[in-house]
Amino acid sequence: MPSGGLLLQSVVLGLLLGGLYALLAAGLTLYFGIMRVVMIAHSAFLILAAYVAWWFNVRTGLDPLLSLAGTVPLFFVTGVAMQRLLLARLRPATLTMMSVLLTFAIALFIEGMLGYLFTGTQRRIQLAYSASSLDLFGARIAVVKLIAFGLAGAALLGLYLLLKHSRFGWALRATIQHRDAARLAGIDTDRVAGYGFGLGLATAAIGGTALALDATVYPSLHWHWIGPLMAIIVVGGLGSIPGAAIAAMVLGMAQSLLQIPLGTTWAQTVFYLALFATLALRPQGFFGGRLAQRF
Amino acid sequence: MRSVSKARVWLGLPVLLAGVGLVLSFPSLAPNPYLLSVGIVVLNYAVLSTAWNFMGGFTGYISLGHGALAGLGAYGTALLITKAGMPSFAALFAATAIVALLAIPLGFAALRVRGASFVIVSIALVLILLLVFQSWASLTGGSSGLVVPRPFPQLLRPEHHRVFYYLFAGLLALALLCWWLIDRSRFGLGLKAVREDEDKAESLGTPTFAYKLVIFTVSAAFTALGGGLYALWFGDLDPVFQFSILSGAYMVLMALLGGVRNLFGPVLGALIVGIGLEYFKVEYGNTPLHLVASGLLLAVVVMFMPDGVIPSVSNVFGRFFQPTRASIREVSAEQLREEARR
Repeated sequence: MPSGGLLLQSVVLGLLLGGLYALLAAGLTLYFGIMRVVMIAHSAFLILAAYVAWWFNVRTGLDPLLSLAGTVPLFFVTGVAMQRLLLARLRPATLTMMSVLLTFAIALFIEGMLGYLFTGTQRRIQLAYSASSLDLFGARIAVVKLIAFGLAGAALLGLYLLLKHSRFGWALRATIQHRDAARLAGIDTDRVAGYGFGLGLATAAIGGTALALDATVYPSLHWHWIGPLMAIIVVGGLGSIPGAAIAAMVLGMAQSLLQIPLGTTWAQTVFYLALFATLALRPQGFFGGRLAQRF
Repeated sequence: MRSVSKARVWLGLPVLLAGVGLVLSFPSLAPNPYLLSVGIVVLNYAVLSTAWNFMGGFTGYISLGHGALAGLGAYGTALLITKAGMPSFAALFAATAIVALLAIPLGFAALRVRGASFVIVSIALVLILLLVFQSWASLTGGSSGLVVPRPFPQLLRPEHHRVFYYLFAGLLALALLCWWLIDRSRFGLGLKAVREDEDKAESLGTPTFAYKLVIFTVSAAFTALGGGLYALWFGDLDPVFQFSILSGAYMVLMALLGGVRNLFGPVLGALIVGIGLEYFKVEYGNTPLHLVASGLLLAVVVMFMPDGVIPSVSNVFGRFFQPTRASIREVSAEQLREEARR
């Protein structure tokens, strides 16, 4: 039986990791809700943002968190452009399948360019507070992880408030629920869908910066993220943001706890096992509504 | 209509015979063993891509995880030879049978819901298998790889290549024949109905789930055969290459590029992409630029010719040779509706 301190540490780390997963899965869910797109390139953009944060830190010596001021608007615009110029032009009948391939192609492109520009070397940001940690009843929690969690939590809260309490959020949710009806109500669904996509990609920018704080990054890292993230959105029920957030916390915690007896590598399989179990037992996911049953 | 199809047979038969002749005589024409090995790689791609096209072409379900099925076939064959002491080709068929059996529960989980979940499962399959095969070093050799004993130890390298070239060509012919037979069968019609409109097909009494599961199993079996034969030929397996999402993506790219609704579409795609990849390897070595090029090519195909080059080219030719073509096109009612809406 592992000691109480170790257990507590795993629980806290799982919570912190789950927060990041939740933010990223919320972005994936947005894309899916808006246009039934499984956005494989989401995690590639995540790594891209992490690289930008690292490069910014190396070049200027400033705190990588400041790079958010550049990446968030940039990613938002990229997301809008991607939706308007690429995804919206695919044939609607085969959109789900073809968009997977298109975003996969984008992911390959980003990975290849990162590898070409920065080589495959593993990169890590060195900060003054990188090594400092907090003592919490015998659990040691790195400060950078706390900052990353705070960032993810704040972004998620912001997203929630935006969706629930702003006019744009209403329009976006209406577009997700029923596009034709939303258009009848006078919503410019095309534009709203584009902004929604931008919002999703902005979560990748924030997540990537948070990731860069305490992780080593390399170009092919995004494959290690997309698998768990896709498992999370299926387990949570495709299209449901609360479902994705709950699944992210539960699975992040499970991964962190399983690392004690199984080690880091085998603990990752929990995502895939949860994915297969969900599809076999409850294909619409645990919190998915009508939408999830059809996909 | 009848005369058109007759004309197609008369046009197609010499082309087909010429193609077969070219494939069969390539080993004698190839000036060096390297080119012969490129020929084998291309044939392997053609087999895998045709195998993928059983699922992707008929039902429209796009799997990015067929690379994992090929890897399972390869590792299954290798492990049955080294650990169970089976003869090479018996191991190949046993591994294929095992992968086909594994495909049933996989398909059961993946096919109960529609496309999006299927893609997600297919990607998850690659990632989980990569994890398992890299970590379980005591069985699979882990990242240091696994050496597969050669089936014909007495043969020299060029002869070895030559034998495997014909084995791959035979396997390709078998896969194409099966695809052709299914294409003209009632079963194939049901699968295409799934592709066009799954709800309608189901309401008209097509057992869509059973059909999808059967074709997924067939597709998995051919993929495993291709992967296993590759293991016997290449003789050295590494989890990073066997369970790579990229190899699955190449199958999709080849099939789409050639045209998923054509019998020879994946073969044509394999020819183009396979040669392109080899060229890149020679020209740029192991830089990540081949990722960039593959990504761009895939994006161009998806955006501008999702039906592949064969339909695009034959449309151009059709304008010259068959100006009075029948007006019935192979598009679904849904596509027409959406075109009208635009």
